[in-house]
Amino acid sequence: MIKNKETFRQQKKVQNSIFTFLAFAFFVFSMLQLNIVPERIVRSIDRLGYIFSNMFPPVTNEPLNLFGAAIESIQVAILGTILGVLISLFLAVLAAKNLTFSPYLSYFIKAFAGFVRAVPALIWALLFIVAVGLGPTPGILALAINSIGMLVKVYGEALEEIDMGIVEALESAGATKLQVILQGVFPSVLTAFTAWSLFRLDVNIRYSAILGVVGAGGIGWELMKAAQMSRYDEALMVTIVIFGMVMSAEVISEFMKKRTNAATAQALN
Amino acid sequence: MRQEALKVSPSSQPSMTKKQSKYDEYKRRRKILLKSQAYIVGLISLLALWSIWGTGFNLLSLVFGTYEILVFIFTDMFPPDLSVIGSLISPALDTLYMSYVGMVISVLVSLILGVLAANNLSPHWIVARVSRSVTAFLRSVPAVVWAIILVSGIGLGPLTGTIAIGLSGIGILGKAYAEVLESIDENQLEGVRATGANWFQVIGQAVWPQFKAGFVSWSLYKLDMNIREAAILGLVGAGGLGYYLQGSINLFQYKEAATAILMIFALILLVEYMTAKIRERII
Repeated sequence: MIKNKETFRQQKKVQNSIFTFLAFAFFVFSMLQLNIVPERIVRSIDRLGYIFSNMFPPVTNEPLNLFGAAIESIQVAILGTILGVLISLFLAVLAAKNLTFSPYLSYFIKAFAGFVRAVPALIWALLFIVAVGLGPTPGILALAINSIGMLVKVYGEALEEIDMGIVEALESAGATKLQVILQGVFPSVLTAFTAWSLFRLDVNIRYSAILGVVGAGGIGWELMKAAQMSRYDEALMVTIVIFGMVMSAEVISEFMKKRTNAATAQALN
Repeated sequence: MRQEALKVSPSSQPSMTKKQSKYDEYKRRRKILLKSQAYIVGLISLLALWSIWGTGFNLLSLVFGTYEILVFIFTDMFPPDLSVIGSLISPALDTLYMSYVGMVISVLVSLILGVLAANNLSPHWIVARVSRSVTAFLRSVPAVVWAIILVSGIGLGPLTGTIAIGLSGIGILGKAYAEVLESIDENQLEGVRATGANWFQVIGQAVWPQFKAGFVSWSLYKLDMNIREAAILGLVGAGGLGYYLQGSINLFQYKEAATAILMIFALILLVEYMTAKIRERII
């Protein structure tokens, strides 16, 4: 018995070292395939030093433009999130196994959400730009559709976990399907939905900051301009503004979460 | 709001029948909830109106946009031109290599930053603070932003993408590792320390066994994320599938672009499947 344990442990050790070796070998192989050799690394460190020394101090020539672009990015993110949340609420009810009309519809919506989620937001923006033209509109639509992919999944999971007793109670009281969903289902998943929606707003603000890269409006375009003219100090300024945007979004969603929780706690005590 | 609640509650308490006071209580609580909901809904509507005004978004374009994108996908992109798959394999592999090398770089740097940032292992609280701020900054700036800056500095190609992925990975993994390290059981550290073990022995015998599961799952999660990021980094010229996608869209070769998108989709699914298998095996 003891011997068995000992050999088992040894086997595990050998396996572990094989895995570590494979991981390391794949790392070296990838480096070689990407043509990342020491000589190039040294040269790029040189270049990095050059970029870094040119970055300070951060400046901006058109503060108003930069500010306007940042605001536009935030607005794109807000609209994309709101549209995504509204459409997802509707689709998630149809996708949840315990609430849907037919299981086929549920599978279909889940598969659609899976595909939409797997294609990154920036690629959606690229497609929407071709379809509807430049400007903030394709950005909003791209964020909305990418949000749907994620939100339908997480909303659906939350809906499938609810206590069906509530639904049955309402149904036996003679409530219609819509009444059951509004009075019984949504209140019990409200906390999860709020948390996920705010999380998505956070993600969308990050995405909206870079949508301008492909021409979908916002602050990404300012960054692109600065970088293409090799004005690293301006690029750093834009980066700092993006950092500020993301941080402020976190602060705002934290505040809203706290406020809702405080109100709920007050009502319950 | 709190003040108002205080004002209302005494009035509902004195000598009423029990039923009435409960109903009053219910009304009072409902009022608080409704008020909070109204506040939130109002705030959201204001934000929505402000954004619609600011971006010139037309609600009709939701309908038109859906219509246009469907027409675009089904007439211009469908069916995908599968004959270009051969030339897509090498960019796809590049994307894979980029995300793997990027992950390894960020894991190595994050291990150091994570230990420095964890309150229970950090040599000094100032070091922890600095390390936290560095990771927070790297985390808040998307990988694409790093890629744009680096492309103009280092040049086009996968090396740029790898560095960009590594940088943004440090932000996420540094924070995750620090949190995992902070949640480990201190008693085990004490126990190993009491035997007279030095710092390295403490790390190896007490910290690592507790840290391993979190370390593996966060690193693999980052690999999943990296594939998505690597696929789009090419859009700004940092190599991989995205570069090919951008090129074919610029040349109006939408059927080729469709193949590239399907390839990205397949690559993401493949890597997710593989990381799930590895995770199962290790943990």
